[in-house]
Parts: sequence; structure tokens; C-alpha cells
Amino acid sequence: MKNIKLLYSLILLFTLGSCTNFDDFQIDPNRTTKGDPSLLLTGIQISAFNIVSTDAAFASRQMVNVEHNNTYQLYGWQRSGFGTYNNLRQVLKMEEEATLAGKTAYAALGKFFRSYFIMDLTRTFGDVPYSEALKGSTDEPIFTAKYDKQEDIYIGILDELDEANSMLATETGTISGDLIYDGDLSKWRKAINALSLRILITLSKKEGNSNVGVVSRFNAIVNNPSQYPIFTSNDDNTALPYYDLDGNEYPYFNSNQIKTNYYMDESFINHLKDREDPRLFAFAQREENGANLPEDDFNAYGGLPGSDLASANSARVSQGEGSLIAERYYNDPVNEPSIAIGYAEVQFILAEAAARGWTSGDASEHYQNGIRASMEFYNIDSAAINMYLSNPQIVYNASQGIEMIITQKYLSFFMNSGWEAFYNQRRTGFPEFSTDGPGILNDGMIPKRWMYPESEIQSNRENLEAAISSQYPNGDTVNGDMWLLKNE
Amino acid sequence: MKQTLLSFSFRKKKNQKLLSLLFFFAFTMICWGQDIVINGKVTDSNSKQPIPGVNIVVKGTTIGDATDFDGNFSLTVPSKQSVLVISYIGFITQEITVGDTNFFTIELIEDAAQLDEVVVTALGIKKETKSLGYAVQEVKGESMVKAREPNVINSLTGKVAGLTIRNSTDLFADPSISLRGGTPLIVIDGIPSTDNDYWKLNADDIAEISVLKGATASALYGSIGRSGALMITTKRGENGVTRVDYNTSAMFQPSYIRIPNVQTTYGNGDNGSYAYVNGGGGGTEGGGWIWGPKLDQLDPSTPSGFNEVVQYNSPIDPNTGNRIPIPFISRGKDNVKNFFDTGLIYTNNISVSGGNDKGNFRVTTSHIYQKGVAPNTGLNNSSFGVSGGYNLMEKLKVDASLTYNKQYTKNFPQTGYGPHNQLYNLVLWTGVDVDVRDLRDYWAEGQEGVQQKHFNTSWYNNPYFIAYEALQGYYKDNTYGNLNINYDPTEDFTVNFRTGFNSSTTNRDWKEPQSIIGYGSLSKGDYFLNSSTSFSLNADLIASYTKEINEDLKLNASVGASTRYWDNRNLSLRTDGLTIPDYYNTANSINPLKGSNWYGKELVNSIYTTLDVEFLQALYLGITGRQDWVSTLPVKNNNFFYPSVSFSAVLSDLVDFGDPISFVKLRGSWANVSDGRTGSTYSHLTAYNNGISWNNNSSLNYPSTLLNDNINPETSDTYEVGLDIRFFKSRLKLDATYYSIKETNNIVTVPISITSGFGSRLINGNEYARKGVEFIVAGTPIKSDDFRWDIATNWSSSHRTLESVYDGSDRIGNIKVGSRTDQIYSTPYLKTPGGQLIYGSNGFPLNDTFSRRRGYSDANWVYGFQNTFTYKDFSLNVAFDGRLGGIIYSTTNQKMWWSGTHPGTVNEHREAANNGVDSFIGPGVVVVGGDVEYDIFGNITNDTRVYAPNTTKINYISWNKNTSNAVFDHYYSQSFLKLREVMLTYNIPEKYTSALNIDKASISFVGRNLALWSDLPNVDPDSGFDNLQTPSTRNIGFNLNVSF
Repeated sequence: MKNIKLLYSLILLFTLGSCTNFDDFQIDPNRTTKGDPSLLLTGIQISAFNIVSTDAAFASRQMVNVEHNNTYQLYGWQRSGFGTYNNLRQVLKMEEEATLAGKTAYAALGKFFRSYFIMDLTRTFGDVPYSEALKGSTDEPIFTAKYDKQEDIYIGILDELDEANSMLATETGTISGDLIYDGDLSKWRKAINALSLRILITLSKKEGNSNVGVVSRFNAIVNNPSQYPIFTSNDDNTALPYYDLDGNEYPYFNSNQIKTNYYMDESFINHLKDREDPRLFAFAQREENGANLPEDDFNAYGGLPGSDLASANSARVSQGEGSLIAERYYNDPVNEPSIAIGYAEVQFILAEAAARGWTSGDASEHYQNGIRASMEFYNIDSAAINMYLSNPQIVYNASQGIEMIITQKYLSFFMNSGWEAFYNQRRTGFPEFSTDGPGILNDGMIPKRWMYPESEIQSNRENLEAAISSQYPNGDTVNGDMWLLKNE
Repeated sequence: MKQTLLSFSFRKKKNQKLLSLLFFFAFTMICWGQDIVINGKVTDSNSKQPIPGVNIVVKGTTIGDATDFDGNFSLTVPSKQSVLVISYIGFITQEITVGDTNFFTIELIEDAAQLDEVVVTALGIKKETKSLGYAVQEVKGESMVKAREPNVINSLTGKVAGLTIRNSTDLFADPSISLRGGTPLIVIDGIPSTDNDYWKLNADDIAEISVLKGATASALYGSIGRSGALMITTKRGENGVTRVDYNTSAMFQPSYIRIPNVQTTYGNGDNGSYAYVNGGGGGTEGGGWIWGPKLDQLDPSTPSGFNEVVQYNSPIDPNTGNRIPIPFISRGKDNVKNFFDTGLIYTNNISVSGGNDKGNFRVTTSHIYQKGVAPNTGLNNSSFGVSGGYNLMEKLKVDASLTYNKQYTKNFPQTGYGPHNQLYNLVLWTGVDVDVRDLRDYWAEGQEGVQQKHFNTSWYNNPYFIAYEALQGYYKDNTYGNLNINYDPTEDFTVNFRTGFNSSTTNRDWKEPQSIIGYGSLSKGDYFLNSSTSFSLNADLIASYTKEINEDLKLNASVGASTRYWDNRNLSLRTDGLTIPDYYNTANSINPLKGSNWYGKELVNSIYTTLDVEFLQALYLGITGRQDWVSTLPVKNNNFFYPSVSFSAVLSDLVDFGDPISFVKLRGSWANVSDGRTGSTYSHLTAYNNGISWNNNSSLNYPSTLLNDNINPETSDTYEVGLDIRFFKSRLKLDATYYSIKETNNIVTVPISITSGFGSRLINGNEYARKGVEFIVAGTPIKSDDFRWDIATNWSSSHRTLESVYDGSDRIGNIKVGSRTDQIYSTPYLKTPGGQLIYGSNGFPLNDTFSRRRGYSDANWVYGFQNTFTYKDFSLNVAFDGRLGGIIYSTTNQKMWWSGTHPGTVNEHREAANNGVDSFIGPGVVVVGGDVEYDIFGNITNDTRVYAPNTTKINYISWNKNTSNAVFDHYYSQSFLKLREVMLTYNIPEKYTSALNIDKASISFVGRNLALWSDLPNVDPDSGFDNLQTPSTRNIGFNLNVSF
């Protein structure tokens, strides 16, 4: 019967159809399991160096937000997050993949980035997991890492950086996927040592701590340029360039906020105006009330007081006061590279070390080099730079050495180097950040840290509680003094 | 009349090719010899009214007919000894021997306790309702064809206990559908349709939807049936009835039950001042706020007599080149009315069906056109379907259907809070100093195609520019069908083969015109393309054996095997800038194209068995078991077994309860269902994710979740008990269900300390329980010859709690063991234990440092009422439904306070702020002494704080800009009651229809979504969330339904 045949053939078809190998389904065709370290390096560099932040500018009295009472600007912040450990996971994977592939050159970069990210974590919170961190996928996984003492963390990352510098000295392999130095390992050595110098100057209150040996470590680097090469020009900057490609633009490209709600801080504008600093024209637009003055007239610019309420500042804006940031920050997709560690900063570090008597260097020379490097970054012509350097207000005066160095460093950090401006002020008190306006929070104090993230309360409570009680007698507050900030 | 319509009966064509049978049954029907022709009429013994749809079958054969609208039937019987079986639900079945009579007048007697209702259960098997040990509720297709919704799922709202439909107000937005807290499987004619495309179903083609509520009911579908199933049975031609049905509806959307109600007193600007500069938004343009000057203020010094301000449409003084101030008046008061159109849902369906004792056919075609309230938006939905069945031989039947559906629109609106949403630009963020009609020519003069015209081009888009230039296209082709072959070699033994497929291709595109803005983006023009094809195939082979050992013991056993395959391909492409504006082609990209693609496939193979036992004609036991092999787990753990047992006892058939109790049934069931998915097709496999590309260098990143090779399937145990009790000859029915679902061995990603390098890990663990109750009460309070009132109400409540945590701790995040999982936590403003806001020295409220529970997202009760009043040829349906309890965060209300458009902002403090006066004192306290200590979870351990009233005056505008009015925290109650439907139907009497050769006709006047009672302002809580929804429309229209 024809019909029966049809039925039989369907049954047959059915039976054949179900004989399938499930192994065929265990491969995800959409993702790779082969992670070349170069592809991981690219991602790590983006997360490490794409760090231009107006939040840092608010907290550092460089900009103000007139839309709402901004917690950074008014020092009302509370907690921060541990998202940086996600970046550390990528570093770990890069190191693992490099080992598997025998690409040794990535190992030194792994140490650089681990130090870079851990430094960022510890200066934000105090003690953080370091020695037991990133062990979630080991054979004996650690899911609740203990918190290491900040002192041990700093020693650890300084040692790692020292090791990284030595490794690259003899490294013959190559790297790719490098957005910063295009695979030039000699420049990476400079960046590694620049980071070491930054960390060491961060420890300026720890001159007397023999475990760290800040001064001797510092000298070990600066006294041996062949073994410890450092930045010699802006070309050496650890800086991420931006491109006119979707997703690669300057972070505030087309930002409505920066166009309409963020204005320059009064104190920052005044620092520049008082010194007749030509960088002002690179940073800011004329205020509406100054629109009829020439662009290079310092009087055309004005700022708004950072510790005032947003309502007061926005009322001033409605009256035509307040300079917006320069148009290039939102109109030019490429604008300027995001400097993470710059030649100017290194020069200011060397100047400060000399001023502190750590080294025998010439503080004035390094100070001038730093200013020149910063101005050259903004394409200011050498005549204007020389004129600025000869301004009596600018000429180095050893009796106010640290203040002058840090203030210039502060001006050079505008919209680059992440939160460096804030952390340098936290360490040295320069320049003074106003806290006397009616908008100020935190009882008029500038916070010294961030509270630990709530996620740690939920998933690593015992270790967190131990870390809090050993560091902060008043509990986990933004005003606690971490080890780093205590003189010894 | 019937004879003339049957004129397309054909002669024997036994050798017709089998393939063509599938599709062209209708035209290949075979008639057997015409031995004796009999006719008759069936009426209700009570009312003497004819009963349509009564089945008349010749006993022992498949010969039969159903009565027409007038109760008439006509049948050809083989001999005088033939016995007619006349049956109709709710009436006592009769048997009559033909004898010499050839016209029968049959009166059916209503059977009050008659409960041989049949519903479609898992695998498409029809079972008597009374034998079921689990809850099933049926919705008839005819209840959904007259009061049209754009989507058939919307029509189920409020009708089924335990089924929560959350209706979106957005055009072409899926309703959210939740059955006992899970998403039910959609099954069309026995074939699972896992794509959850609710738009491919047309109500006109649905005979009934059987809602299988628990895991027991749908255990035979395996893990995909874990949350119950909506079993959709499509219409088939009826034996002996040949007809053409035409159904047309037009539903207009002329008004709104909820639309953001904005103030018209103050205009654009900030701090009470405004002056247009260049549209950049900064400086005197006021940052895009609606905190500007008071509108319509008289000023005798100006030419117009009103306060005058430089505005975007100010004329330019030819001498100075400056803009000339124009009156600052509320010219845009009617912006909403002027911009939005009347929406329309226009539905047409025509179907032709027929059948005889050998087979049946139905062809159907329909079109649904929906016009959105936003200009230039709409949706077309066309379907074409054929279905039919044929008895190839006495023991071999085949049934098949094939449907083609096309959904297409060149533009449907983008929704959600943001500058692509028209409401955002039109209502929330435009002061009424701007008249939307002035924006109709949306290009800036001299910059056509390049720059839109708007009063603020940094923050907002011209609503007309979005409507006519930023187009979101959607083109989807669905084809789905099934083939069912049934072979009964002996009376006891049946073999059934069923296969079906769902296939779809979706092409979408987005046109982004140059100068459109987003948050922090200004488009260079872009074109996005997405194409996706999906295919799924299901096949089942089932053999069943039925044995009636004696009258009191009947058995049915079956074994089956099934396979389910699914794959999907997806491709996305986008330009990076357009070289030539308005030329939407990937070849026109400035920078290299960006793209991504995805391919995935899944397979589940299964075997299963069932056993049903009937004892004493009143006790029923059902057992099922299924073993699955799945591709979505590591091969070593990829198979699992799930059993179910259900039991039903019709106590009233064992014991006579006496009046008024006419029926009592107890039911109980247990099912153990496992699921072998870790989230998506390949999420159990570790691999790198593609990261951002920088200057055309690609990157990778390693995911944050730590996977686990030893992951096992997760399991849920569902226990259910129910009582079905009926009184007064079934005039009053009560059905109650209690269920408990224990979810164990869950596949969960649990948060771990990120310091481990991973934010979460995938494990089997955590235990949850869901418990719920469902009640249905239905009755006929009034029933007379002419008038009848039927009422039904259903109530359900269901909550899920955390029972234990994988690592023995007492909480996951904020959720403690023993508490509900639908808690909403957020970090509020700091409050005293008594609930007063605490202010800082600057007069603004302080933030709490801990997140706090704000409430629950799930409703406590979901309810519905359906009323039908029938009077002679008129019937009136009135339906209410709603939800009680649960909270919702309202973005719309928060943004209205923030932006300055909320009518509540119009007060003396705003006026003072406009004049530069700080007059507002936030209600609450300041801490003047003492201290508070918290434990690590934020519970107060020691509180010595001393409070004094807050006395600091602040700027009212700043208060709102900073806190969106901190007095409200913008969590609102989700409770609501909605008048869902009012429908008046007039069934046109036969005396009129017959003159037109029409079998039956009805006309209905319909209103849907008519009224809403809720404490949530400006927003319809029906959708369950608010991220600036489309205004909720009142839908009013008519329906015409004709059969001939």
C-alpha cells in the first residue's frame, strides 16, 4: 500500500534524523578559545590608558558641574568599585597565553600592567587583595582573597617593576597589538621605570620606612640610566591616541554634558590667568560675557567656584559667566592622546625628588623641562614658552620648591593622567582646593579615600572586616588615613 | 442553500497524489456511495431553540455532520440499521437508530453534571477535563476575534488564572507573558514554537488556546515545557459544514487613558531665564532645562505686549544680523494633540472551510494593519494558511497545515527614555514656548539633508525629523506548519507521527540621518542592517495502546520518541558614517564597515512514555516519564530523566453529595522536570569574547564568569493540588489550585569576590521555592429564556523565595534565605528611622551609604472579571482586570520633576527661584548631635543622633534638578484596575440574514483599554515597567462577522 510506504519512510527518516553526534554541538563557532597575547594586550591597553575623566577634573577643582550638585566636586563621594580586577584578569590571561605560546616579551608587560592596576586600587582604598588575588581559576582556587597591607603591596609592585625592567633588558622576542609604542620594547622599559618613579614619589611620606627604602630605590633608577632608561621627550609618553573611528573617538567627543553643563573652575582659571599661562587658550573658551574680547585676552575667561551649589553656578551661567572647555574637547574626535604617564610628569617627579634632597639633580632644570614638555604637548610655540619661563612668578624658587613643582604638575594634568592631580594634592596639599562654599559636603573635608565596594561586604566579608579594622579605627569612611598618607 | 454551497464536491479520485493532499484537500474530496439521505433538526429541550454545532455521527464510522446555525443537519447513512450518535457538550448524548425515518426532530436534554469536556493536553492529545490531575484552562478562539488587539496574546489578559500578561503601550512591542512566574511554551498544533513570535498568530485562525499551567501538564515537552504551555489549536474545516467566514474590525485610538500631563506655565531655560544663542544648549540657553521664564507674561514695553525673548525661530534683523526677540508665550499648549495621530488597528480575515466524512480543509488569509499614534509609523501583518485532514483509509488519517506570515513595516517607533523617543523630545523636554507645528519642516534652512532644525540641537531631536528620517524598518517572513499521520492498525493500537517546523527570516534596518543626536553622539549619518534566519524542526513518533479491561478499568499506555533541532544565523552590519547624506547603503560608509555574526544550533533527543489508568469511571491516574539528551551541556552530563504522576478523583461520581453540590473533583500531581541550559546555546563553553577594536586592531577579553565542566541539569519539582466543585446543576463553579515548585540544583552564576579575578562562577546550587494559589469562580446568576448573565472571575498569587544558598550562607546579595526574590533594592536618600529625610548642611538631602529594600516587583494578586450579558440577539461583554501590589520605578515621573515639566513644579517656590530667591526648605531634619553606627549590612547598631528640623532655604529649581523632588522616590504602587473591554454584539436575526443568503452575521461595537484606576500618575502600569512609554490609548471600534 502506498500509504503505508509513506508512513514507513517517514519513520525511517525520523530515525535517521535523530542519529546525531552531540560532540558537534560542543564548539562555539562565534568565539575563539585561542587567545593570542597580542589581542589581550590591545584590550588591556585600552582599559588602562583610556582614562580621561571629568570626575577627576571636578574633584581637582579644574572643572565644575552646573547641572547638579556633583559629589566629586563637593566632596560627597562614598564608595568606589573593584572593577579594576577585571582588567587584572586580562593581564593574567595575557601572561598565561604568552607562556603557552612561548612569547616571553609579554611577561614583562604583564608585570607592568599588574603594578599599574594594583597601584590604582591601593591608592583608592588602602589595603586590597594582592598576594592572594586573581586565584579564582587555579587548581586550588581562592574565592575570598585576604587583603594585603598597603606597605607590602607597594614593595611588591616596586619589585615587580624592577624585575620587568631587567627582563626587557635581555628580551629578544617581540610583541604586537601594541597601541602605545608599536612594539618598541625599549620604550616600554622607559614606561616601566617611569611608573616606578611615580610610585616612589607617591611614597614621599615614607622616607623613613626602611622596608621600602624609597630614596635608595629612587636613586637606583636615576643614577643608572643605561640599566634604567627613562622618558626623554613627549614622544616617550605612555599615551593612548584617539581616532575618527566609531568607538575610538575622544571620550567627550559630542558630549552634551561637557558642551552645556561643565564649566571651568574659578581657581583653575585663576591659576592660569595669574601666571598669564597660554595653556588657558588651549583649555577653555571665552565666557559668553567675554565673547567680544580677543581669544588671547586673559580677561575673556572666567571660572565658577567649585564649592558653590550648582544652582548658584548655573545662575551665573544664565548671566553669561563661566568658560566652557575648549571646543576641540567635544568637536574633535581625535583631540589629543590620553596621557597615562607623561614625560612632563617624570620631569616634575625628578624635580620634586631633587627638591626633597633625595637626589643630587637640579630641581629647577627638571621643573622647567616639565613645564616645557607640558606646553609643547599643547603646541605652544617656544617663544611663548620661554616668555612664560622667564615670568618671575614662574622662575623656580627653592623656598617654595615643592609647591611650585606640584602646582605646575597640577596644571599639566588637566584632562590627562587620570586622577594624578587629585592624588598629588592629597599627598602634598598643593594647590589648595577650596572647601568654603555653601555646596560643600563631608563637613568641609576633602575625602582621602573611597569606601570599599558593597560587593565585598557580600562576597568577601571576613577579609574585608579584618582589613577595615586594621587600618581605620573609625571604620570604613572616606576620611580615613591610609598607610600611604602617614609620615614615617 | 447548503446544497448549492457544497457544489464543489468531487467524484472519486482515489489515486490522487499524496503530496497534493496536504495542500489541496479541499478540491480533492471524495464522496462515497449515497445510500440513504437523512435530514433533521436539533433543539434544546428547555428553550426549544436550535443548537448549532451538534455532532451527529453514524456509530462505528467516521460519517457525520454538525448542525448548522439553525440546528439543521443532513447526512448520508449506509443503511437503515445505522445508529446516529448525537452529542453536544453540556447535553446528554443520544443514540437513535435510523430505521425508516428520514427527517429527525431531536431534542437534547441539558446535562447539568455533564463534564465530558475535552481539552488539548501535551503532545496534542485530547483528554477529558475530569480525568486531569493538573490545572488546565481553555480560552476559545471566538472570544478573541471581535475585540481586536494587535497581538493575540494581549487578548488573553485577565482571562486565565495564573497567566499574567503585561501589555506594552509601544507599537509592535511584545507583551510580557508569565505563567506561574515563568515563560510558557507556545505550541501550535502540537509543534513547539520556541521563537516566541506572538505576532505570527492570527486570532481568526485559532480554535482554542488550552493553557497547561504546571510542569506536570507539560512534562512531556521536557525542559521547554517546564513553565507550562499555551497549546494553540488552529481551526479545521468541519464535517458537513462548508462555509466562508469574513471578519473585519477597525479599532481606532482617538484618546488616551494615560499620557504625561505637563505644565504649560513655564518655558525652556534655566533659573527663570532663556535666550537662544545657537542651539548648542549652553549658557543662556539654559542647558536644555524647562526651568525657564514664565510664559504669557504681559509686558507693555514690547511690540507684542508680551514678554519677548530671542528664540530659535526669531526673525533676523537684516540691519544688525541679530535675532529679534519674539513673544514668550504658550503657543505649544496642544503639542501632543497636534503631533500625534489617531492610531488604528484594522483587521480583515477571510476563510473558506469545509469537510465531509472523509476529510476537511480550511484556507485562510488575513491582514492586520496598525497605524501608530506617532506619525509615519505602522505595522503590517499578513497571513496565509491552508490546513486539512483526510482519511486515507479507515485506519490511516493525515492532517497538515502550512502558514505563511509576513510582518513588515518601514518604520516603527524607537522606544525607551532617550533622544530617539518622540515623547522625550515632544513632551518631556520641550517647553511649550515651542509649537511643534513650527517644526514640521524639519531641515535647517539651506542645510537640507545635513542638519535638522530644532531649538536645541545638542540635547534634543525634532520630533518630525525622527518621524520622517530616523526610520526603523522590520521585515519578517515566517513559515510554519505541521504534518500529522495517525495510523490505527487495530482498535486498541495507534501509531502517530507528527512533525513540524518553524522557519523565519528577519531583516531589519535602521536609518540614522545626519545630525540626529543621541546621548553624547552626533550622527554623521549611519545605516544599520541586521538579518537573522531561524529554523526549528520537531518530530515525534508515538505508539499508544488502549485497553478497556472492563467498564471499571481502562488503560492507555504509550511510548514515544522525539527530536528537536534549532538553529539561528544572525548577521549585523553597520556603516561608520555616510559619505553622501540620505543614501542608505553600506557602500556609502566613510570608514570601514563594522559587522558581527552569530551562528548557533541546538539539539534535544528524547524518549518518553505515558500510562493513564481509569478506575471505576471516576478515578484517574496518569504517569509520564521522559529522558532527554541535550546539546547545551557538556556531553558527559547531557542526559536526564523526568517523571510525573497525576491523579484525579471525581468524588461526585462515587458519592452522591446531594443538592446543591452537583460535582466534586479532587486532583493532585507531581512532576520533576530538569533543564539543561546554562543560559544561551554556548554559554557552558569557555572562550574569549571579542573586545573593542582600536584603530582597526581587534582585541579579546576573557569573560568574568568562571565556568564549570561538571555542571549538571537543574531540576524543579512541582506539586499541585486542586479542587473543582460545582453547585446548582453547575450554575456555580469554583476551581481552586495550590502549587509549590521547588527548584533545586539550579544552574546559577553566583557572585564571588572580584578580587579572585572573576565576578561570578557557574555552579549547581541555591534552592528556590515558588508557591501560589489560583482561584476561578464562574457562574450564571441569571438565566431566563431571553436574558442570561454569565460571570467569571479569576485570582492568582505567586511568590518565589530563596530557600538555601549554595555555600550555606544566609543570603545572596541583598536577598536573605526565606525571603522573596523579587525584592527591589536601591540606595535612597538617608532617612531617620521614622522615615524623615535627613539633610546636609547645604540644605540638600544626604545619600544613604547602603542599598535598602524599596518593595517587591511582583503583584500580590493578579485578577480578572469577565461578564457576558445576553439578551435575545444582543450580547454585552464587560471585562475588568488588574493587579494588586508590587512597586514600579517610574522614569517618566522622575524625569518630569527633574526637567521642570511636572505640573507639581508650578508653585511659589519656582516663582521665587526664577527671581533668584532661595525659598524652599526640604521637608525633614538635620542631625545636630550624636552619631549612628551601622553593622556591615547597614543595620543600625547604635543611634544617638539628635535631630532638628531642616531650616536651610535652597533654590527650588536646584532642589528638583538635584533630587527630582526627593519627597517622592519615584517608586509607585503597581496596583491597578482596568476596564479592559466593553463589547456590544448584535447577532443579526436569521430573518434578515437569510434574505441575503447569509448563514449568520453579527456586528459588534468594541472598546478596549477604556479606563484605568491607579495611583501611578502619567503612566499606564499595565506593562509592569516604565521607561517613558508611549501614551496609553483608548481603543474604540467595531467588528463585523459574517458567515455564508
